[in-house]
Amino acid sequence: MKVNREMKRLYVGGLSQNISEADLQNQFSRFGEVLDVEIITRKDDQGNPQKVFAYINISVAEADLKKCMSVLNKTKWKGGTLQIQLAKENFLHRLAQERKEAKAKKEKSTTGNTNLLEKIGGVDFHMKAVPGTEVPGHKNWVVSKFGRVLPILHLKNQHKRKVIKYDPSKYCHNLKKIGEDFTNTIPISSLTWELEGGNDPMSKKRRGEFSDFHGPPKKVIKVQKDESSIGSLAMSTRPRRVIERPPLTQQQAAEKRTCDSITPSKSSPVPVSDTQKLKNLPFKTSSLETAKKRNSISDDDIDSEDELRMMIAKEENLQRTTQPSINESENDPFEVVRDDFKSGIHKLHSLIGLGIKNNVSCHDSDDDIMRNDTEYDSGDTDEIIAMKKNVAKVKNSTEFSQMEKSTKKISLKNRENCELSDHCIKLQRKSNVESALGHGLKSLNCKSPSNSSSSEDADSASELADSEGDEEYNAMMKNCLRVNLTLADLEQLAGSDLKVPNGDTESDGPETTTQCKFDRGSKSPKAPTCLHRGRQCIHPEEIVASLLEGEENTCGKQKPKENNLKPKFQAFKGVGCLYEKESMKKSLKDSVASSNINKDQNSMKHEDLSIIPMEDGSPYVNGSSGELTPCQHAKKANGPNYIQPQKRQITFESQDRKAVSPSSSENRSTIPISRPLEGKKSLGLSAKTHNIGFDKDSCHSTTKTEASREERSDSSSLTSLKKSPKVSSKDTWEIKTDFSLSVSNSSDLSAKGKHAEDNEKRLAALEARQKAKEAQKKLVHNALAKLDGHPEDKPTHIIFGSDSECETEETSTQEQSHPGEERVKESVGKTSGKLFDSSDDEESDSEDDSNRFKIKPQFEGRAGQKLMDLQSHFGTDDRFRMDSRFLESDSEEEQEEVNEKKTAEEEELAEEKKKALNVVQSVLQINLSNSTNKGSAAAKKFKDIIHYDPTKQDHATYERKRDDKPKESKAKRKKKREEAEKLPEVSKEMYYNIAMDLKEIFQTTKYTSEKEEDTPWNEDCGQENPEEIQDPAALSSGAEQPSGFTFSFFDSDSKDIKEETYRVETVKPGKIVWQEDPRFQDSSSEEEDVTEETDHRKSSPGEAPLLEKETTRFFFFSKNDERLQGSDLFWRGVGSNISRNSWEARTTNLRMDCRKKHKDAKRKMKPK
Amino acid sequence: MRPLTEEETRVMFEKIAKYIGENLQLLVDRPDGTYCFRLHNDRVYYVSEKIMKLAANISGDKLVSLGTCFGKFTKTHKFRLHITALDYLAPYAKYKVWIKPGAEQSFLYGNHVLKSGLGRITENTSQYQGVVVYSMADIPLGFGVAAKSTQDCRKVDPMAIVVFHQADVGEYVRHEETLT
Repeated sequence: MKVNREMKRLYVGGLSQNISEADLQNQFSRFGEVLDVEIITRKDDQGNPQKVFAYINISVAEADLKKCMSVLNKTKWKGGTLQIQLAKENFLHRLAQERKEAKAKKEKSTTGNTNLLEKIGGVDFHMKAVPGTEVPGHKNWVVSKFGRVLPILHLKNQHKRKVIKYDPSKYCHNLKKIGEDFTNTIPISSLTWELEGGNDPMSKKRRGEFSDFHGPPKKVIKVQKDESSIGSLAMSTRPRRVIERPPLTQQQAAEKRTCDSITPSKSSPVPVSDTQKLKNLPFKTSSLETAKKRNSISDDDIDSEDELRMMIAKEENLQRTTQPSINESENDPFEVVRDDFKSGIHKLHSLIGLGIKNNVSCHDSDDDIMRNDTEYDSGDTDEIIAMKKNVAKVKNSTEFSQMEKSTKKISLKNRENCELSDHCIKLQRKSNVESALGHGLKSLNCKSPSNSSSSEDADSASELADSEGDEEYNAMMKNCLRVNLTLADLEQLAGSDLKVPNGDTESDGPETTTQCKFDRGSKSPKAPTCLHRGRQCIHPEEIVASLLEGEENTCGKQKPKENNLKPKFQAFKGVGCLYEKESMKKSLKDSVASSNINKDQNSMKHEDLSIIPMEDGSPYVNGSSGELTPCQHAKKANGPNYIQPQKRQITFESQDRKAVSPSSSENRSTIPISRPLEGKKSLGLSAKTHNIGFDKDSCHSTTKTEASREERSDSSSLTSLKKSPKVSSKDTWEIKTDFSLSVSNSSDLSAKGKHAEDNEKRLAALEARQKAKEAQKKLVHNALAKLDGHPEDKPTHIIFGSDSECETEETSTQEQSHPGEERVKESVGKTSGKLFDSSDDEESDSEDDSNRFKIKPQFEGRAGQKLMDLQSHFGTDDRFRMDSRFLESDSEEEQEEVNEKKTAEEEELAEEKKKALNVVQSVLQINLSNSTNKGSAAAKKFKDIIHYDPTKQDHATYERKRDDKPKESKAKRKKKREEAEKLPEVSKEMYYNIAMDLKEIFQTTKYTSEKEEDTPWNEDCGQENPEEIQDPAALSSGAEQPSGFTFSFFDSDSKDIKEETYRVETVKPGKIVWQEDPRFQDSSSEEEDVTEETDHRKSSPGEAPLLEKETTRFFFFSKNDERLQGSDLFWRGVGSNISRNSWEARTTNLRMDCRKKHKDAKRKMKPK
Repeated sequence: MRPLTEEETRVMFEKIAKYIGENLQLLVDRPDGTYCFRLHNDRVYYVSEKIMKLAANISGDKLVSLGTCFGKFTKTHKFRLHITALDYLAPYAKYKVWIKPGAEQSFLYGNHVLKSGLGRITENTSQYQGVVVYSMADIPLGFGVAAKSTQDCRKVDPMAIVVFHQADVGEYVRHEETLT
């Protein structure tokens, strides 16, 4: 009836309080086996039982449970209504069960996991089962054909409402069932290689048909067109142009990298441009565009540094082109193009030359900068940085230009160099300015034809004539506007480059080149080199601007003067003045676009005197304005031309002197500053030529009146470049003046038609100017002679001078008077330095400052402090000056009073503190015994603490010497570890011993069993005992020895083997025992024979293994193991055979007997 | 302006000692100069000797404050700490409570700290122990009184008050006129 008996837990509620467990057990035992009864009583706060119920664990069948429920539920029993329900299992049971389950699960899961792995794993995925068998534990997974486990898919047919069951085990081709489409594969041989399609390009491309490749040329053209268009745009908008630059520069860079390929690249773009020009010709702007194209080409050829110049050149070209275009060439596009082209080449050369010069100048300036770097003001750092950048560029440009030259035309270089030499020659000639002027003009004029004749480019004579005409025209324009002049000058330079070689032998060329190089290389401030440079510089100037010579000369004169003046300027003022002037002049220069020439000059002069370029600019300005205001020219023209070199030399010398003299540190500082400034400006000009060039390009291209714009823009750019706040105001001024100038220029422009007249006028004006300048220079000379001694006063004058210059530009008459005034002022400044006192005061202040912060002797000490305090009350008024007398009388009393007060206050505070501390004590209930003294005590304590200084030898005693114990301990530890490791070996041996014992025991047991005499064996072996004892002793010794070996270590293995052998010997005890047996025999009885036989048998197998065992012995038994021999004896002893035989014999006997008896009994029965 | 009487000193020190314990003596006996407590307008100012001397030149009715106000004596002569004392109490605080960023605002608005806002608390803080309240970034925010001991804090439900608010730096804005 124990079917389905389950353990149930019943809740029995509604019990009375006095029910015992036994009652419940009795009650429920009717239905099943009550295992456990648990009565629970709920009590209220007072401990009165409120509720009594019980849990009963009962193992009961389902039917019985129902019965129980129906019988007992809701019945009254012992004063309570029973309420029986199935309860949840006791949580302990549940816990146990859960744990069991968890365990089982784990095991399962692990097994399952392995199965899963086997199933899922790539290798085990193939189940070695018959296809179609379901994978156990995974629904819908079946072993498919080929033994792979695949899912059974239930696919819904799209068209029919049928769910296809796809059993992979039934199909070899699995895809067939799913979709017929897959099976309809086209054989590879019948695959098409053609794509259907029309004639449209896409399909063609798809088919792999490509039209002939025309891309690149088109692109080139496009680019050029773009350039041209951009150029045209650039006329209107500068920024555009600027944007365009980078690509150009990149192109250039690329070309430059491949220096060898430069020539072809150059050659290639040129025709393109020509073609372009041709294309562009139909458009009216051809000339301008072509010019720009040229520029682009030239850009390609020339480096970034050169680019800047190129931009300037572009301006010039534009101007030229525009002018000729107006005059000539719209009708004759070809000519214009070629002309431009040629001119472009010329320009390139000239530009290159200029670039070289500029580079040289830059180098020089850089060197100067390098020299003066330390002396630079912080304000100049920006500019210096710009300088350096420029320098880097310049170097590149120089390299490039050189490369280009070398690649292009060496002859051109030579010519350029020759030009320099010519210039030198001309310098010598220059003694007479006018003659030089005439010569220059003539030479220029003469050379222009020669240029045409000698021009490498096989340009038609007409073209040359045009170019000449252009040049002349430009020259005429120069007279009208400085800008034009400078442009023309550039052209002339180019022309002169060509001319020079013609006129001069080329042998001069190398010399000049060497000179140039020497100049480049040598940037030492030595006078001779400087002079060389100066001359060279002058030469180009004169050659180029032969027309402007007078002006230049004046400039040169002014330069030395200013040089003399400027070194003496204070740094900041000088800088400011320089800025102003430079900005003025440079703006003008820029506008003139003679920046290249100017730069050359400036740079060359920079080498000599950094300040000179500034003034070079100024004369130019004057020159430019000279047309407007001939008076200025006259002033500047005052200086005789031949004076210039002398003055320059003087200035050089003076500068050198100053530079050398350490006393004139201020001068030095000013000089370097001025140099960098100039350098910057020159470089800045080059760098800004981008902007300027753009400006100029745009301006020129649009109209001639834009010259004013250029000036404005240049001035603005320059002003923007200036960073001295002082200058800014003046810059605005300058801008205004520039405007005025521009206005005048515009007016002049109108007069451009009368260039020749202008030229004449200009010459006359130049002469007048020269005269005026001479006068000026005399004045300046005198002033300078006086000024040299007082460098500090000058800045103020210069400021005034700059202002006056600005003014002079506005009004010629004023200008005339102003320079004179300047000098006068300067002289005045020198003599009485206190008129313009801001600076002087400052200086004196600065001098005072040094002393100001020194404690005067009377203020030293405490009393002195008091005195100072006293004095401070009354200010600096002498009448109330407090002497030490005042101090003496009062201070002591005060001090005393103060001290008294202090002491009183301190006492008060101390008392207060004490009180407070007391309160704190009481509050905190802590003993703050000597809180006040704590600090000192702590300090004392701290003093007592010795500050350990490892460097002191005395403190070596405080060092705790490191013991070597740790090492020893390590060794010990090792030993211990080894011991710990060895110990198990010892136990092994013990095991062997045990084995031996067992053997012996077995042997002995055999003996005993055979002999059946234990006691006599034990007793009789009186002699044997010691031997027996020996055995254990030997065993023990054996045990000990190994252990001893373990302690000694290191040769454990060999010794183990030995021990083993030794152990093996312990087997001998068996023998020994056996040998002893004969003694037994005396006492033992008849069975000797048998024993002897057995012993013999034993011995023979025992000894043989002994020999064998010495070689190998293992823990595990092997076949023929010696250790098993004993056991062999044990279970296969001879005795067993004997017994068996005897048993068999007996059984036979017994059987016989049994049969006999049986027969006898039958016989007996029969008779019965 | 006058020095505190002994009784006042005691009351004040008892109050301060709730927050900084024996570190109080460091306030009284400072190594870097003489500092003392001064009573002015019922307010106690902790002031250096120098400033005190300077302040002596100003008549009592014109003197608004000097040094650092530690708190004020109420009419019943109890001492009430002001938030201005926080700068001196925070470094010496023995028992600290850090509140979570979410509860910072609530505390700075003058509310008590609930257990949900309690980020960290010094162990073995006893009940009604004065604590300095910090943000989790260790910025002192104010001080209060532990409403529950550290052990109790573990048991109580998250909405129970753990720290009673006494003063917080929000008072610089809220009670600007009374903080002198």
